[in-house]
Amino acid sequence: MFFHPKVRVEDFEAAAMPHFPDLYRTARLLAQDASEGEDLVQEVYLEAWKSFHRFQSGTNCRAWLFKILFHRLHHFRRRWVKASKVEAFENPEDQDSVIAETPVPQEIRDEDVLKALEKVPIEFREVVLLADVQEFSYKEIAETMKLPLGTVMSRLSRGRKLLRQELAGVAQSFGITPGKEPPRAGESA
Amino acid sequence: MNVLNFNSEQCARIRRQLDAYLSNELLVETTGEVLRHLESCEACLRELEARTRVRDALRRAAAGQTPPEELRQSIQRQIRGMQPGSFGGFPRLAWALAIALIVVVGGVATEQWIAVQRGRRVVASVLAIGVADHVQCAIKGHNYPDVANPPEKLREKLGPQYAGLLEVVQQKLLGFEILEAHICSIPGSPRKYVHFITRGRGTILSVILTRRDGEHLPDSRWLVSVSSGSVDLYEAHLEGMNAEGFESAEYFGFVVSDLSQASMVKIASALAPSLKAALDEKKLTTETQRSRREGAEANGGLII
Repeated sequence: MFFHPKVRVEDFEAAAMPHFPDLYRTARLLAQDASEGEDLVQEVYLEAWKSFHRFQSGTNCRAWLFKILFHRLHHFRRRWVKASKVEAFENPEDQDSVIAETPVPQEIRDEDVLKALEKVPIEFREVVLLADVQEFSYKEIAETMKLPLGTVMSRLSRGRKLLRQELAGVAQSFGITPGKEPPRAGESA
Repeated sequence: MNVLNFNSEQCARIRRQLDAYLSNELLVETTGEVLRHLESCEACLRELEARTRVRDALRRAAAGQTPPEELRQSIQRQIRGMQPGSFGGFPRLAWALAIALIVVVGGVATEQWIAVQRGRRVVASVLAIGVADHVQCAIKGHNYPDVANPPEKLREKLGPQYAGLLEVVQQKLLGFEILEAHICSIPGSPRKYVHFITRGRGTILSVILTRRDGEHLPDSRWLVSVSSGSVDLYEAHLEGMNAEGFESAEYFGFVVSDLSQASMVKIASALAPSLKAALDEKKLTTETQRSRREGAEANGGLII
């Protein structure tokens, strides 16, 4: 079928442009630098506009745009992401007892968070951003990233812990003392 | 890093639920269970607060990433300059038409290609006539002297109706010496040839004329190697020889040797127009017709 109903640029902009800030933030925090992030967002919008006739009006435009974002991101990253590295992080023993109580600084500066986030491997960073910043549900994340639900859950859990670890490390390196933990007596009811 | 080994299995179980609780992904019953535990367990509550603090800090930091307004404008400009539902800005309808055009042109081209291949076979079969005589008479038969026959002898051998061609060949075949000229035939074939055997550029080159017997070189510009004056030249590589061919009103003309195709094109281009003109001359045609009428007596039994 070579013909499709006429789509209007106004309709596209009304549906897609409100999500521009969210897409930009996600792309920027996943890209290696600002320029790559901007290129990525631009590609997402041009790709979305080209295939807007296939987008079903009334469905979730934001999720659709994020799907395109991750499709492009993975397309470029597939070559250099080391599967073995992902494996090593995805199949840890239950490490709750080891890192769950990594102290969290009372005051966390934005730059510390960004520095810490940069150190979190991208496979985990992606899921943490989608869940904690963009507030996508597990199911939406699984669909967007084409991952099994279990993998989404394990990556989110692991990603949060890694971020917390990195955050403690960054804060300490800048002389910020993590919040003191109260005595552990009476830990459980 | 503090290492904690849970004393309570309940704490351990609740903490495994905290990620899903934080993401609001727990079932109502499980949420209730977590909340009841948190009411009575300060350590787990602190752990939840710590996790919430990290998440909130991340949200704040991400919100601080302000998208550049120029980027938004640049995207909108590009979108407005681009047709939707297209591939690289090319509308789908245009693609449809382009594909249809390709199919049609492809079909025509295929047909043309088949016609050209068929034409090439015809060209090769015609030029093979000249190549066969060159190979049989000049190369294998070595029917030429080492020292060129004098022109008078060559004229005599050619007979009155073809003697005039000797001068044309001499004038136009620069750098070649005419060693021999005669009328010959190949065993088993009724065809006769007017054959000039020449030497130059370190090799033997034949100029051969033979009467067309209802045959034609195909009339297609795709098959013509070069047009020289009013003469179309055709080429073929056969039996290790490069041959150029043309046709006049009644004759085929061939130039054959093992020189390169480029050299042969130049040589034949220089020779063919004058030779064709001479062959087409009314006088020659009239003489030929007369000779044919007069039969064997006129040309020693040779009607070529």
